[in-house]
Amino acid sequence: MITAVRKPFAEIAGMLEGSGKVLILGCGTCVTVCMAGGEKEVAILASTLRLANQKDGREMQIAEATIERQCDREFFDSVRDAVVQADVVLSLACGVGVQFLGEVFPDKAVLPGLDTKFYGAAVEQGVWAERCSGCGTCVIGEYGGVCPVTRCSKSLLNGPCGGSQKGKCEVDPQNIDCGWQLIYDRMKALGQLDRLEAVKPIKDWSTGRHGGPGKIVKEEALL
Amino acid sequence: MSTLTMDGLKAGSRLEKILARGHFAVTAELGPPKSADAAVIAAKAGHLRGNVDAANITDNQTAIVRMSSIAAGLLAMKEGIEPIIQITCRDRNRIAIQSDVLGAYALGICNILCLTGDHQKFGNHPTSKNVFDMDSIQLIAMLACMRDQKKFACGDEIRNSKKAPVVEPRILIGGAENPFGDPLEFRAIRLAKKVEAGADFIQTQCIYDMERFAEFMRQVRARGLHEKVKILAGVTPLKSAGMAKYMRDSVAGLSVPDSYIERMDRAADKPAEGIKICIEQIQALREIEGVAGIHIMAIEWEEKVAEIVKGAGLWPRPEPDGEPGVRS
Amino acid sequence: MARKTARITALLCENSGWKAYVDAAAEGVEASRLLQDLDAVKLPCSGKVEVGLILKLLENGSAGVLVLGCPKDNCTFIRGNYRAEKRVGAAKAALREAGLDEGLVRLDFLSSLDSRKLIDAVVSFKGYIDDHSRS
Repeated sequence: MITAVRKPFAEIAGMLEGSGKVLILGCGTCVTVCMAGGEKEVAILASTLRLANQKDGREMQIAEATIERQCDREFFDSVRDAVVQADVVLSLACGVGVQFLGEVFPDKAVLPGLDTKFYGAAVEQGVWAERCSGCGTCVIGEYGGVCPVTRCSKSLLNGPCGGSQKGKCEVDPQNIDCGWQLIYDRMKALGQLDRLEAVKPIKDWSTGRHGGPGKIVKEEALL
Repeated sequence: MSTLTMDGLKAGSRLEKILARGHFAVTAELGPPKSADAAVIAAKAGHLRGNVDAANITDNQTAIVRMSSIAAGLLAMKEGIEPIIQITCRDRNRIAIQSDVLGAYALGICNILCLTGDHQKFGNHPTSKNVFDMDSIQLIAMLACMRDQKKFACGDEIRNSKKAPVVEPRILIGGAENPFGDPLEFRAIRLAKKVEAGADFIQTQCIYDMERFAEFMRQVRARGLHEKVKILAGVTPLKSAGMAKYMRDSVAGLSVPDSYIERMDRAADKPAEGIKICIEQIQALREIEGVAGIHIMAIEWEEKVAEIVKGAGLWPRPEPDGEPGVRS
Repeated sequence: MARKTARITALLCENSGWKAYVDAAAEGVEASRLLQDLDAVKLPCSGKVEVGLILKLLENGSAGVLVLGCPKDNCTFIRGNYRAEKRVGAAKAALREAGLDEGLVRLDFLSSLDSRKLIDAVVSFKGYIDDHSRS
């Protein structure tokens, strides 16, 4: 999923300063799973804002709503009125949803309540880790199922650097496993170590973000 | 396919000649200044001149901004030192690197060491974007392609126009290896890939544990790599017991035998003992089959290189025909 | 003019806090007096407490929220009270963000038999709330 964390409260409060009617709009998909922007988190943020406003004597109407996801137009239909009535919409979706909201309601001020982080998965409850960089040309199959572009801090394709120690990456030994140790262990277990002896050529980075913002068209799906 | 000089050399550098003629080579390091002060290079060059065959000019080592390797290499050349400039994969993409290589060669620089590069988080600009358009093995392959296929990475010939002559950079290509890094079993494989990619010489990280290094060289020889590439073993003289303990405890993959730490603890004149140990290490390394030379990393202690080289019986340095740094 | 008495909310684990509360409330007039101005809510486990619930209670006028669960390493659901600790911690962080006193929510532990401790916990918390009143 796309993972994100909520922005610091002070930053959000600063963004909303002076706004009369605020709609906090949550998203029911990725950010619900990583517990950053779902219905629960919308409620917590709304309560925190109201408590702060009560204390400081600020007038602000805060509405709450959560839709299935903010990256498909149809889901905005159910909250169209709420969006139109608000002065500003604070979206708790990932960066995709926030922008899409702005595209569907171009006359509305749209603000991001989250900092979008990475494509990742829950390695254990409450812990999410990055797994994919969206490079556009997947080579996971050549590396025993481990992505060298994402799991190696330097995206090395031919083996580890000198900073691999006891299976950890020197960039952050507490939190980052050495991607190449993972690749090595996995391919050893698969009996495929000999495949790591071939020199892999330099990568074409243009199939990902380095080629500019991407676009996919599926002809048979067009109306 | 690769154009060789009259005497079968690829680059014709002093370093290549010494290695090709079977002399035990000596290289050292020269770190450029963290400012635009050229005098720093002159001072360091003064310590190395006549004591080494060539000197590495580091490339923003540890991701700390220093004068560029090529510029410092040119200044070093003017001081009578043959430079081995370094290129890391961290800061430059293939366009910039190929461009730099053309420029370096045009300036008379013909030894290049290819490195991965320390992550920017270790340096003084940790919030910068990194590049890593390629890894060190792909970098070696790219430079070998420029020299031997006379083509850029995209396949274009290295010529200014269809009618202009092909003028490729005729460089000696080096790589680095850490024999003690993890995964340990992969290190000889990684070295083999660098050789396959086209490395002419390899410099290792500093060695204190002779036994473990001897085992590494055994694996290297088993793959026949020592006959395809010239391996220079790295040494770093110890200045104090504290330094020895730091190297043992804090540097990834480095093991320092207790005997060295004890000697440094007991010695009355610790720097002298450190030099003595270094000389012993060099003598031990000369005995290992497949070691073609040594790489002395006396960081901020360049003034001791002469003493080490002389103490190890490696002075004076052989004079291959032609002046240092001038291609034949 | 009569001072409006602040009402606190007690979120009580049914295996410990709630039982102690029921016993305490039945003890007598004095105990009942000490436990007045309190809204007691039963939870299946202190670990079920939700950050959003704590904040909502305070937003809607509760003067303070007291969470009472089983002693550490004595939770019927093994680690529920550890979870309660983390969630109350998150609620405290939210209160700090809002510029409020994090002491408006408190977590304590007691056994089901300890009605005396329950009364003490309530009295102590009420005292704190009165001293640090928001209004």
